[in-house]
Amino acid sequence: MSEKFQFAIETEALGRSFQTYKKPEGLVNSIKGFWNRETIEKVALQKTNLKIEPGQIIGLVGSNGAGKTTLLKLLSGLISPTSGYAKVLGYEPFQRDPQFLRRISLLLGQKNQLWWDITPLDSYALLAKIYDLDEIKAAQRVQELAQILNCKHVLETQLRRLSLGERMKMEIIGSLLHEPDVLFLDEPTIGLDIVAQETIRHFLSSYVKNKGPTVILTSHYMDDIASLADRLLLISKGSLVYDGTVQGFVANAELIQTVTYKIVNQPEYKEEVKKTDLNEFLVQLTQKGQIENIKIEETDFEDVIHSFLQKESRVL
Amino acid sequence: MSFTAFYKRNLGFYKLAIASNLEYRMNFFMDALLQPSITSIVEMVLWMAIFKGAQATTIGGFEQNSYLAYALWATFIARATVNWTYEFKMIEEIDQGSINGLLVRPMSYYEYYLSQLLGYKSITTGFSLLFPIGIILATGLPTQWDRFPAAMLLVFYYLFFVYSISFCIASLAFFFNKVQSLTVSKNLAMWLVTGELFPLDLMPDYLRKIFLMLPFSSGVYVPIGFLTGRIGWEFLWHGFASVTVGIIFFSALGAFLWQKGMKTYAGTGA
Repeated sequence: MSEKFQFAIETEALGRSFQTYKKPEGLVNSIKGFWNRETIEKVALQKTNLKIEPGQIIGLVGSNGAGKTTLLKLLSGLISPTSGYAKVLGYEPFQRDPQFLRRISLLLGQKNQLWWDITPLDSYALLAKIYDLDEIKAAQRVQELAQILNCKHVLETQLRRLSLGERMKMEIIGSLLHEPDVLFLDEPTIGLDIVAQETIRHFLSSYVKNKGPTVILTSHYMDDIASLADRLLLISKGSLVYDGTVQGFVANAELIQTVTYKIVNQPEYKEEVKKTDLNEFLVQLTQKGQIENIKIEETDFEDVIHSFLQKESRVL
Repeated sequence: MSFTAFYKRNLGFYKLAIASNLEYRMNFFMDALLQPSITSIVEMVLWMAIFKGAQATTIGGFEQNSYLAYALWATFIARATVNWTYEFKMIEEIDQGSINGLLVRPMSYYEYYLSQLLGYKSITTGFSLLFPIGIILATGLPTQWDRFPAAMLLVFYYLFFVYSISFCIASLAFFFNKVQSLTVSKNLAMWLVTGELFPLDLMPDYLRKIFLMLPFSSGVYVPIGFLTGRIGWEFLWHGFASVTVGIIFFSALGAFLWQKGMKTYAGTGA
């Protein structure tokens, strides 16, 4: 980054609501709705205050429709806020200053951003022109990134002929070609098999360590968040409900552990026990008889997040 | 932003359109040659039937060959000066949110598709014009070849006007989502007011005067009338002037609609 900011991303009371209309079920209501529509306002993101330091990797987690993507779109300048303001690298995103757009990247895991009918190499050559990059250096960078992602062999194949995993690797190269200072990753591993997820996770992990961009990552795969993020934002119904470290969240969460045990001459049992109640449970268990076998399973991060949001009647 | 960067970027978009269209050979062939050839043949046969039915040697002061030349050129030039493909694409992108991937790039959406339209029209028109040129050379239908460069220049300039209208219509998708029917209606109206359906000099006098005042006639009637000798240079100059006014008007309207639209844009679908 050429300038020094205390915060790479800063928002104050940043919010967004949308106008939509209510459509009751049935053909008659479709006809009525042709003339008379009941407009409703839907709040996609409540007033949000955020401060993100340069180089931080933020895991943004929430249920579908919680407001994650809206926040990313606001921060990348795709949509305008209806309240408050945002500053990203000192720019107001919605002004869409070309200098600002040159320094960010938004990767939408569910959409192709490279060109469908041409090869990735042709797409990268075009991106180099769009971002006004040195074309030779950009081409070298493509080769380096493709080498790391192990996908050099598909660089000259049209995007439409590639598998989902290969396409995602191509999209990642495209989003990193101009070495953005801020990287918005929206579901970068969605729909990929475990091997591809792992490859991309490793790649992103080493990339952010080496280059140090500020990253906001949304993902439904908690492994992505657990392995990459050093700060966790939980969002629900448009509001931030947790802002802290992944470890801090897990430490404070009401952890449930699964205890599988077998007492001599009895069948095997499986029970869920709160971590805080575990000692007492084990003491009681030893009083029931001679324990033949016992297994205590830790709850994983995904389960913790799931139960946290479920507790608020907000299922992932 | 330097001019070199602007030029290189737009040349990239121009080439992108060419590469994308050449990727699908069958579609390219149908689009560039077969479709306008069939339309052209139908219109020429129609004019022959009209002359035969009327048992006249001239209609509106012009002979059958003049109408045949007009019909032949008109279908190919009209094809070059209409914008279905990119207008639909822009509307769909705004409606479905796939525009998001473009809005985060340091470029303007306006220039992105303008350069692509020019690239697409260059390759398809350059290829498809071989058909009328070949027919005219073989049959000797009236065409003043010395006027060809000036007529083509007006056609090329008119594309900027067509695109500025397309940009306005596409921007309406921010407010109404599906506006493809507007494109269809507009292009049907263009069929008449550009002079593609028949030369504007066959219209009632007051209508002809109105249509000639408007920039739309520069899409077909003015360049083809000029090329085939129906009208003189004064119409061509007027064509350039009216198209300039049209570009300014629709570009301003497009910029206004775009800014308003972006404010309401929800970015859904991606």
